[in-house]
Amino acid sequence: MTNHVARLYAFAAAILVFVVTWVAVAAHPWQQTARADAQDPRLATLRAREHRLRLEAADVQRIVDRRWARYRHALAKRKKEIAAAKSAQRALLAAASAPSSSGTPSVSVVTLPPLTVTKSS
Amino acid sequence: MQRHVFEAMGTTVESFSEAGPEGREALPGVEVEFERLESILSRFRPDSELSRLNREGRIEADPDLLRVTRLALEARECTRGRFDPTVHDAVVAAGYDRSFDQVARESSGGPLVAVACGGGVAVDSDAGTIELEPGVSLDLGGIGKGYAVDRACSLLAAVGPCLVNAGGDLAVRGRPRAGAWPIGVETPDGTISLALQDGALATSGRDRRCWRREGHERHHLIDPATGIPSESDLLRVSVWAETAVEAEVLAKALFLAGEEEALREAADLQLLAVLVTCGGRTVLAGALA
Repeated sequence: MTNHVARLYAFAAAILVFVVTWVAVAAHPWQQTARADAQDPRLATLRAREHRLRLEAADVQRIVDRRWARYRHALAKRKKEIAAAKSAQRALLAAASAPSSSGTPSVSVVTLPPLTVTKSS
Repeated sequence: MQRHVFEAMGTTVESFSEAGPEGREALPGVEVEFERLESILSRFRPDSELSRLNREGRIEADPDLLRVTRLALEARECTRGRFDPTVHDAVVAAGYDRSFDQVARESSGGPLVAVACGGGVAVDSDAGTIELEPGVSLDLGGIGKGYAVDRACSLLAAVGPCLVNAGGDLAVRGRPRAGAWPIGVETPDGTISLALQDGALATSGRDRRCWRREGHERHHLIDPATGIPSESDLLRVSVWAETAVEAEVLAKALFLAGEEEALREAADLQLLAVLVTCGGRTVLAGALA
């Protein structure tokens, strides 16, 4: 009798363990999160938006880079023009202040013997 | 360097050309031009255009006389009357009534009398006439010589670098092979050399055309403000300008201004000037200082 009851309890316990295991395995608990994620439309929308934003940011960066290059080129050109204008102005000032034959006196005191002498008229 | 020397307008005229054979051929043309202009502008020649104008008061004038008179009137305006072509009667009253050789030899003459200057002169370029206010006569001596120097220099410049020196007035055109024309300016301590690359240099002073009357020294530089020979404290003034006419006018104006005012004006106008004072000092003024 004791052995018969013990075997019955053991059989019932084995059946219980089997069923519980079966249920647990059949539930696929390790796939549940991935499926939930894949199926969430908000995440998909966010991902799509993120992707679009990344593409737009790259486009904006390219535009900014092109504009920056154009600006630097124009700045260099303008700097060259300003330098040229300043140089021309300096040359003009030098020409205006230096003795020359065009209206500005071109006379200096020298130690050479004179070719002729200007006397009181 | 070719050189040609002759007497004209009461002074010795030297002309130089660096143009080789062409310059040698051109140099006598300077003498011809001086003679032509003297026959028009001299107040000592009774048959000159200027003498006729002074006699008649209104004439249809030669173009050169018209031009010189106009230049003289412009100079009178620019110098606020310090340079004045109507000083003729004052110069004559001071004793300079004949060529200077005669004036220097003879000692006759009366007391010094002041004669008013600044009389009216009307030049009508379109009609080609000059009209003088009654009682006014012109003396174009200094400016006429400057004009002759400029004219002669322009003629010579056609063949190469040149220099024309008529006593106190000289002009250069073109650079010589040496780079500049060394010109001497007399000072009490000797001669200063100025290197001219272009333009003109004129000297006005009381030390050459001067004479004695009644124990007093007189000279030909009349101060239009007083009508008698200037009592400037300067002995001689040399000024550079673009043309001999301008240099002559500026030299006379600075001389009459006196040392202090001449120094101020030379500095203000950045003139190139050498002043020699009656005290024997030499002062480089304006842009030369």
